[in-house]
Amino acid sequence: MPSSRRSFLALAGLGSASALAPWRAWAGPPTSRVPAPASAPASADAGVAMLTTSRLLADEGLARAAIDAARKAGASYADCRLVLWRRERVSVRDDHVSGIGRSEEYGLGLRVIADGAWGFAATAERTPKAIAGIARAAVAMARQSALLMPQPVALAPAQVVQGGWVSPFQVDPFSISIADKAELLLAAARAALAVQGVAHVDASVACLREEKLLLTSEGSRVHQIFFRVAPGLTATAIDRRRGRFAARDHEVQPMLAGWEHVTAADLVAGAPQIADDALRKLHAAPVVPGKKPVILAPSNLWLTIHESIGHSTELDRALGLEANYAGTSFLTADKTGKFKLGSEIVDLVADRTQPGGLATTAWDDEAVPSQRWDLVRKGTFVGWQTTRDLAGAINEPTSRGCLYADGYASVPFARMPNVSLQPGAEGYTTEDLIGATDDGVLITGRGSWSIDQQRYNFQFSGQFFWEIKHGRLTRPLRDVAYQANSVEFWSSCDMLGGADTYRLGGSLSDGKGEPSQSNSVSHGCPPARFIVNVLNTGGGA
Amino acid sequence: MSQPSPLKPEEARALVKAALAAAKFPEVGVRISARRAAHMRFAAGAPTTSGEALRVEVSVTATRDGRSATVSGTDRDPAALAQLVREAEALAALAPVDPETEPPLGPQTYARVAARDPKTAEVGPEGRTEVVARALKVAREAKLVASGLVEHDDAVTVLANRAGLFAYHASTSASLTTTMRTPDGTGSGWAGASSFRLADLDATALARRAADKATMSAGAAEVLGPGAYTVVLEAQAVADLLSFLVFSLGARAADEGRSFFSRPGGNAIGEALFDPRIVLRSDPADPNNPSTPFAPDGLPLAPIRWIDRGVLKALSSSRFWASKQNKPPVPGPRSIFLEAADPAQAKDLVELVRGVERGVLVTRLWYNRMLEPRQILATGLTRDGTFKIEGGKIAGPIKNLRYNESPAAMLKNVVAIGRPERVAGDGLVSVVPPLVVRDFHFASVSDAV
Repeated sequence: MPSSRRSFLALAGLGSASALAPWRAWAGPPTSRVPAPASAPASADAGVAMLTTSRLLADEGLARAAIDAARKAGASYADCRLVLWRRERVSVRDDHVSGIGRSEEYGLGLRVIADGAWGFAATAERTPKAIAGIARAAVAMARQSALLMPQPVALAPAQVVQGGWVSPFQVDPFSISIADKAELLLAAARAALAVQGVAHVDASVACLREEKLLLTSEGSRVHQIFFRVAPGLTATAIDRRRGRFAARDHEVQPMLAGWEHVTAADLVAGAPQIADDALRKLHAAPVVPGKKPVILAPSNLWLTIHESIGHSTELDRALGLEANYAGTSFLTADKTGKFKLGSEIVDLVADRTQPGGLATTAWDDEAVPSQRWDLVRKGTFVGWQTTRDLAGAINEPTSRGCLYADGYASVPFARMPNVSLQPGAEGYTTEDLIGATDDGVLITGRGSWSIDQQRYNFQFSGQFFWEIKHGRLTRPLRDVAYQANSVEFWSSCDMLGGADTYRLGGSLSDGKGEPSQSNSVSHGCPPARFIVNVLNTGGGA
Repeated sequence: MSQPSPLKPEEARALVKAALAAAKFPEVGVRISARRAAHMRFAAGAPTTSGEALRVEVSVTATRDGRSATVSGTDRDPAALAQLVREAEALAALAPVDPETEPPLGPQTYARVAARDPKTAEVGPEGRTEVVARALKVAREAKLVASGLVEHDDAVTVLANRAGLFAYHASTSASLTTTMRTPDGTGSGWAGASSFRLADLDATALARRAADKATMSAGAAEVLGPGAYTVVLEAQAVADLLSFLVFSLGARAADEGRSFFSRPGGNAIGEALFDPRIVLRSDPADPNNPSTPFAPDGLPLAPIRWIDRGVLKALSSSRFWASKQNKPPVPGPRSIFLEAADPAQAKDLVELVRGVERGVLVTRLWYNRMLEPRQILATGLTRDGTFKIEGGKIAGPIKNLRYNESPAAMLKNVVAIGRPERVAGDGLVSVVPPLVVRDFHFASVSDAV
């Protein structure tokens, strides 16, 4: 359930109403266009020094001591993560800075199996006494759970690995000064406010650095650092006379990247367009509801992929392990390899190796190497997301490497890899899709989103909507949402953009689990055409 | 596992003193949160994971001449605290001016709130296992598959600054939620509750409620098509939808013309927008449902009526926005009490159902999202117990439905009001009644169970 921000896409070509033609603007930064390789991208050169000088190394002995203490207390398996998060956020509102914050969160989490059950304990206090305490607590919890377990936890085998990896970046986002970040945002806000009729602008940039050192009782040791950046800008136009208002989010995406991603997004150059769009949303025509084709731009479709395919192919959901909160799935183990959930042109791939992907990694939180595998092939459901304690349930020999915890104090569990829709072989452009559509709507950007607990019925909105008549974009629309059933939606997919139209979108805050945890994940896709129920959400207002 | 407080008042004062001693800027504030939390999850009829963690966050805000920055960290030794202060001051010195910066608050007086239950603070793995065992027993007896979560915490929040402000709040919280499903996957029921005392949560009774709903909803559910229905929204469903309205209760967005409560040249305070029987208030010192008596900026939280007999009485307002309007600031709520103006009007859930000739009973709402802020229009789906009502009786299960509806319309279209109860959830403390509401809009049918 993403609740974070925005998507990429300099929609500049959609410019003023008179200049609808040039679609070159779909081009994103180069990092979003590289086809996925078979393994994680090469570690950032500058990152190697970060690993060797890391302050986590000073606490590695404590992590080993935690595992040893757990084993002595009777644990048959233990792993320990030292996790350090650094987060920085600069926000501006209209003509001034509204917030500057930096935070650091550092601690140690210990996971054990004792008597065949899981236990977990964590502390931010890095002292031998605290370590002994969490080892005792984790084992005691496991023993209590074991009293109610009909059968013990079984871990699929994994190779013992040792390694280090730093996500590729060109410019360390923490090397840019707060003052420079604030000035960039203020310049973008000024550029948007210069458009008459725009009353307010909010802009922000978040920079995140996640570092973790994982040790397992089997002998694996992996040390990784991830850089993520998330710029955002929203313009609000207000018509007080008519009592109406409309907000327009920039479609820039969060990315596993350095500051170069923010530079490439060029918020200042794009801001006037976002401001214009806010005004045009205010004065756009209400959509006429009904069943009709929609063309979903990558900036909108990524989230629909996330909700309808990403979550339904999580094996823990299908097994009922998330039934109390996130829910179960319309997919079940017996449907693997047989169930038709989309048209022949629908291929969806899970991929934790994709450059720029927010869920890209070299190893997961139990040291399983990252990989790329099929979830849906030619419209047929073929693959699941798994961890070491889930793989056995579908008789797979090894884990797909999906274990993740969002901090030192969180219990690791199955989290989503990047899940991406593959581009079409015909090489269509977005104009080709529009040109082939007689009566429909083009939807870009992320709006409201909601889906049921088995991932059947969804309803999404967007940021900007164009009416399509007779193969042309005719006018902006407002109050648009689209509703469908996941299987009917993917079965109706009849046209895909080609490789050149493929883009990556994503979220830093996909919520799942209890207590709820947040996962970062991206989804690549071309623009694609579907049949849906288009709704008017304006209620006559 | 007899547990001391995660941060005793004297420890908090020592930490604050150590941090402020390192301050050079005239305006430096400290926020400390220390929280020991533990949980046990269960699913597919057995425990899955459990965990316990002590989290500490120390946050320092330094301000000079309107330049301000906040830095936070996990460590609380004196050297780490001094480092936080230095970094906050260094960042603030480089920050552009924020003209909306308010001067620091001096010493304040807060409501006395007893929100920490020592017994809840002492619960260990055995106590959690006992709760889960009760829920699993009910499921076994009813031949259902149980999942759920029991969690509890012991938390301290501290605010302090160089101008003499010192606020300390200790609280415990506990919650249990459980979902029961029939083995064939055609029926599902949910129940949940929370309190500051774990002992208030009756695991067996909650599990039975979830089990009854699962059993009652099993089999082939009837399809009711999209349309406007009279609904009986159970308290959890009311709270789920109401939260969108609560978060819209801000004066600034209203005054700036970007809220449901905007009016030409101002806001809607004083207007009769809702059913005249409705009262919406907050109160940090409620004895059974206590909450933090101070706002994040240190302002005291007083009891306040947001809606009184259907009339909008107040909108929250920051110190900056309030001073600009020459009005006193109104901090946003930390607890919400929705109720009938006259408690004698409140009815039991059974009575509410009895009064409905044809309608839909909704247990809870799921994946709720704002659709259109002009009307506070939200969307989401019914879940884990949705039934048809005919002739004042529950007539059978129906397929889940997606709603597109506004909490403002919900409070306007009230037919009858039930007795308030504390609902589950770790956000606002919410004590709300079940409501009978007419013309509630369902937009599509869901196959999800």
